[in-house]
Amino acid sequence: MLNTILQLAISGAALGFVYALVGIEYSLIWNATGLLNFSHDKIITLGAYIVAGIFFTRMGLPVPVSFVLSVIVMVVVGVLMAMIILNPLRKMTTIFTIMGTILFGRIIYEVIRLVYGSRPFTISGLMSGTFHIGSLAVAKTNVYMIVIAGVVVAALQIFMQTTKTGKAMRCVSQNKKASELMGINVKQNICITAAISSVICLIIGFMVIPLYNVTLTMASMIGLKGFAAGVVGGFGYLPGCIVGGIVVGLIESASVLVIPSVYKDAVAFLVLIVFLLIKPSGIMGKKA
Amino acid sequence: MKANRKTIIYAICLIAAIILPLVFGGNYFISLYGQTLINIIIVFGLNFITGLTRNMNLGTAGIMALGAYASGILYVKFGVSPWLGLAAAIVVGYLIGKGLGYPSLRVSGVYLSLTTIAFGEIVRLILNNTMNLTGGAQGLSNLSSYSIFGFEISRGLPFYYFLLVIMLIMLWISTRIVRSKWGRAFKAISDNPDAAESLGIDIAKVKVLAFTLASIYASFGGALYAHLMGYINPATFNFDMSIDFVVMLMVGGIGVVSGNIIGAIVVTMLPELLRFLGNYYQLVFYLIAFIGAIKLPQGWPAGLASLWKWIVKKTGLKSRKEG
Repeated sequence: MLNTILQLAISGAALGFVYALVGIEYSLIWNATGLLNFSHDKIITLGAYIVAGIFFTRMGLPVPVSFVLSVIVMVVVGVLMAMIILNPLRKMTTIFTIMGTILFGRIIYEVIRLVYGSRPFTISGLMSGTFHIGSLAVAKTNVYMIVIAGVVVAALQIFMQTTKTGKAMRCVSQNKKASELMGINVKQNICITAAISSVICLIIGFMVIPLYNVTLTMASMIGLKGFAAGVVGGFGYLPGCIVGGIVVGLIESASVLVIPSVYKDAVAFLVLIVFLLIKPSGIMGKKA
Repeated sequence: MKANRKTIIYAICLIAAIILPLVFGGNYFISLYGQTLINIIIVFGLNFITGLTRNMNLGTAGIMALGAYASGILYVKFGVSPWLGLAAAIVVGYLIGKGLGYPSLRVSGVYLSLTTIAFGEIVRLILNNTMNLTGGAQGLSNLSSYSIFGFEISRGLPFYYFLLVIMLIMLWISTRIVRSKWGRAFKAISDNPDAAESLGIDIAKVKVLAFTLASIYASFGGALYAHLMGYINPATFNFDMSIDFVVMLMVGGIGVVSGNIIGAIVVTMLPELLRFLGNYYQLVFYLIAFIGAIKLPQGWPAGLASLWKWIVKKTGLKSRKEG
C-alpha cells in the first residue's frame, strides 16, 4: 500500500512538473503581451514532431544533436509566432486574441497532419527503464522529467534575475506603458519571450514522448491541465505555476485511489472550477 | 423608405429560405440546411455572451451535447416524447449556465474560456464512459422525429420547415432580448464596465445571465440536432465544433443578430463549396478564418462593404455618381 502511494506520488509529481512547465511557458507570453496563448499545446506538439519527426527519424541524427538543432528551429518558430500573431493581436479585443491564437494553433495542427498523417510514432528507448530503490520501482521517465523541469525552472529563474533582458521582461510584465517609456523595446521583448516560451514547449514535447508517443493530440490534455495549474497557483505568477502544477499533478495522481481511472483526466478541471469558487486568486496569488 | 427596403430584403431572404430546398433538394442537402438552421439558433445564443458581453465561450459543443443527450436519453431509455425532451434541454441549459457561469464570471478575466473548454472535455469523458446510459462511443441511435397532433414531422422537407419556424421564433426572441434592458446591459458592460457598474448594473449577475441564455440556446439546439440526425455520438461534439461556432460569430460581425445568420450559413456551407480541396480543406478554412479574425474584425459583411467603398473611391465611380 505504502509502495503504491509512493509510486503515485512520484508519477504525480513528475506530471506535475510537466504541468508547471506548461504553466510557465504560457504565463511568460501572458506577462509579456497580455495574451493567453491557446495555441501552446500545438507548439508543444510541433516541438515533438520537429525533434522526433524531422531530425531523429527522417535525418537519422542522434537524440542530443536532434534536440540542439530543434532548439534553434524553435527559436525561429517563437520569433515568427511573435511577429505573425502576438504583436498584431496585442491591441485587439479579447475575443480576437483568443480566436487568433486558437486558429493559429489549428493551422499548425493541420500542417503537421498533412505532412505526417495521424499515425503515432516514438523515439524508442528514450528515457526508458526503471530505477529500483529498495522494493520501490520508479520509472526513469519520471525521474528525468523532474530533473529536466527543475533545471529549466532554475535556469529561467537565473536568467530573469541576473540578465538585463530578464529584468526587462519582468518590467514589461509589471507595466507595459512605463517600461516602453523607460526605453525598453516591447516588441523585441515579446520576440525574445516567445522564443524562450517555444523552447520550453520543445522541452515539454520532448519529455512527454515516452508517455504519450508523438501524435497529433499528444499535448492537448497537458495543455489544458497547464491552464488548470495556472489558475490553481495564481494566474500569471511563475512560482505559482510551479506550485499549482505540482498540486494538480498530485491530486490527479491520488484520485485513482478513489475514482475509476477513466475519469482521471477530469480531475484537473474539477480542481480548476473548485479553485475558481473558493480562491480565484490561486494559492500563491495576490488578492484579486 | 429605409424601413421599407429592410422589410423587402427580409422578405426576399425568407422566400429564398422557403424555396431553396425545393430547388437544390436531395436528402443530404436538406439535412445540411437543417443543420445550418440549428447552427443559426446556437449562434444567436453565443451572441449574447461572446458577442455582446465579450466573454469567450469555448464550450458550446459540450453544452449542445448535454442538450442532445438529455433529449436522446429521455426518448431512448424512458420513452419520453421529444417535445418534453426539448423542455428538458432548456432546463439542462439553464442549470449549466448558472452552474458554470457563477464560478467563472464572478471574477473578471479569461476564466470563462478556460472553464468552458474544461467543461467540454469533461462532458466528452462522461459521455464516452457511461456506457449503459449514453451508449459510450457508439452513442444513441433511432431517435424519432417530432410529431404534432399525431402527425409525424418526417425528416426531409417537413423537418426543414419545422426548423425554419423555430429559427424564426428564436430570431424574434433574440432580437427582442438584444433591444431590451438585458441586451443594453450586455452591451454596456463590454463598452465600459466601470460606467455600467456606477449605473447600478450588477456586472457579474448580468454576465451570468448572458451565459445562461447562451447555454439554453445551445442546449435547445442540441436537442433539435439529436432528432434531426436521429443518432448522436460523443465524437461529434468536439472542441473544433465549439471553435466553429465562434468563427460563425466572427464572420457575421460580432454582436449583430443578422450577422449571426450570415456567419452560420457561410461557415456551415463552406465545406461544400471548398470540397474540391479534399484533404487541404481544413487548412484553408482555418487560414481564411485566421486572416478574417486579424484583418476583418468587424465581420465579413461589414469588411466587404468598406472594401467596396474603398474600391469606389479609388476607381472614381463615386464622382460619376455625384456628377
